[in-house]
Amino acid sequence: MSLLRYTLSRCLQAIPVLIGIITITFILVNLIPGDPIRILLAEGDADPAVIEQLEARYGLDRPIYERYFYYVIGVAQGDLGQSIYYGVPVLQKILERLPVTIMLVVSAFTFAISLSIPLGVLAAHRKNKPTDHVSRIIALIGVSTPSFWIGLLLIILFAFHLGWLPSSGMVYPWDSPDDVRFLDAGHLGPILVDIHPQLAVFYQTLRHLILPTIALGTLQMAAIMRIERAEMLETLQRDYVELARAYGVSERTILRRHAFRVAQLPVVTIVGLNLTSALGGAVLIETVFNINGLGRLIITAIQNLDYPLVMGTTFFFGVVFVVGVIITDISYAYIDPRVSYGERE
Amino acid sequence: MSVGEAQTTEQAGEVDPEEVEGEDLGWRYSLKKVKADTTARFGLYVIALMGALATFAWIDYYLFDYQIANSLWYHPARDPDEVNQLLPPVFDSEGTWAHPLGTDSRGRDVLVRIVYGSRISMTVGVVATAIGLVGGTVVGAVSGYYGGWVDDVLMRIVETIYSIPFLVLIIAFMAALGTRDVMFATIGVGIAIIPVFARLIRSRVLSVREEEYVEAARAAGLRDRKIIQRHIIPNSFAPVMVQATLQIGICILIVAGLSFLGYGAQPPTPDWGQMLSESRNYMIPNPWLSVWPGLAILFTVMGFNLLGDGLQDALDPRSR
Repeated sequence: MSLLRYTLSRCLQAIPVLIGIITITFILVNLIPGDPIRILLAEGDADPAVIEQLEARYGLDRPIYERYFYYVIGVAQGDLGQSIYYGVPVLQKILERLPVTIMLVVSAFTFAISLSIPLGVLAAHRKNKPTDHVSRIIALIGVSTPSFWIGLLLIILFAFHLGWLPSSGMVYPWDSPDDVRFLDAGHLGPILVDIHPQLAVFYQTLRHLILPTIALGTLQMAAIMRIERAEMLETLQRDYVELARAYGVSERTILRRHAFRVAQLPVVTIVGLNLTSALGGAVLIETVFNINGLGRLIITAIQNLDYPLVMGTTFFFGVVFVVGVIITDISYAYIDPRVSYGERE
Repeated sequence: MSVGEAQTTEQAGEVDPEEVEGEDLGWRYSLKKVKADTTARFGLYVIALMGALATFAWIDYYLFDYQIANSLWYHPARDPDEVNQLLPPVFDSEGTWAHPLGTDSRGRDVLVRIVYGSRISMTVGVVATAIGLVGGTVVGAVSGYYGGWVDDVLMRIVETIYSIPFLVLIIAFMAALGTRDVMFATIGVGIAIIPVFARLIRSRVLSVREEEYVEAARAAGLRDRKIIQRHIIPNSFAPVMVQATLQIGICILIVAGLSFLGYGAQPPTPDWGQMLSESRNYMIPNPWLSVWPGLAILFTVMGFNLLGDGLQDALDPRSR
């Protein structure tokens, strides 16, 4: 099977999962007691005619199986429905919040990978030496610590105590310089404002991103580091590495040329699989740092009983995960030619 | 939160079928090895300590309505009569030994609340993991043993649950039931982690199923259910034990996050996640309030991770 056909078949396999996600969220959301229209109108004694009209508008007066049917049809056409609370299309709301969460997750993974891989390799290289012990302890603490607690500690230390970094009021790189408060904060702020205001905005974004990135990325860092170390140790014991050693190849070259690339395969898998856990973690981190991303969107949507928004966002998370897994599988097959494309013998 | 899971699943898939039988025989040896491992032993002590505290808190809460704590020290839930709000810990110049870790915004002693918070965390961690383990074993064993369309359907459902972030799934589940009760949070976490165990067990079953002794059992006319019960599940025991230990820690982290968002133990019940949530409003006057519950979570989860790692080393046939 060619890589293209493999990709296609993986995409087809994902369809039942996506339908499953729609079904599960639809069932859960429709079980939620309470009336979204009443929450929207704030008080219970609204005009019955208005309620009826709104119910008709969001299709809440139709029987449940009909709503499910229309919802699935709509999703297939790329229509996730209208948000009841915000009164705009769900997809629009998601796309509005998406860049923030992507920014957060990508920077968290960048932080995690750039720290964990060198540390993991180093730990494997110096097995049972102090470097190894220290990095193992860091990894152990990292996987045992709640991410939001790291966020709280960072805020206390760096925002309140030292006053170096902001704790909330996220700035986005596309914001207009006129809308950004404290544009000239930080050491570089005043200089950058003089060069170009948008540069200063970008600098403020970076300053705002540092603490949430560390909070969200620590768990991923620790997880990747543990796997990196284990994989490197195993690879370094393989026959071909022994052979290279016997030929007198230096340990450095073995690490770089022979062991490193092979050991990255499982790491790729973990990054792909942990995408969901990072998105879930973003719910907490966005709450701690008051960032208006997808995570907070879904929490407020659940609180407001905004059915279409809850379903749409959950579905979106599912799509991200499924796509992540497919990309992981394909890149795996691409990196390692030994991986078969799902054929048995 | 799917950290340890992915790791062991990965390795479970790799285990050579020939080595499986050895695991079962070497139980006593493995236990000895866990006991000899310093880090695993430390993990065991931590878990024993937290377990003891949680048991004590349960007894006091359930049988005596916090009267033991109240007479020995302070009431962990009720507001005190004599109000000493936001007292700093003892090493601060204004701290006193009467409240070693200080007091919260209502003047309640933080140390007592930390100790009593172990009740919720330990219980939820263990019960949720048990739910996930039982559910996952049933799903994984059936799926792996029968294969075919049963496997397809079950695995698609498992993948579906797995693809929604834990927190989102559990909060939607609790919203659907119209509750914020910690009992339903536990059930939600348990259901959300079924995929972890289902996949692990399934991969074990697939490798054990082709074993000669299973085929012999089948040839001898043993029924499917008996084969699953007698041969397949016992032979998948070691990696599942490791995963379950690590998973308790992960569940404690998930529930702490849920409580932090307000979907867990409700005030005034002492709970670590909820204490952290409350502390956010007092970060400037008393930052220590945000420190202690997190340390308690870290300590407990670390205990389970240490024991899990130790078990893995001891039960992994390759490291013998």
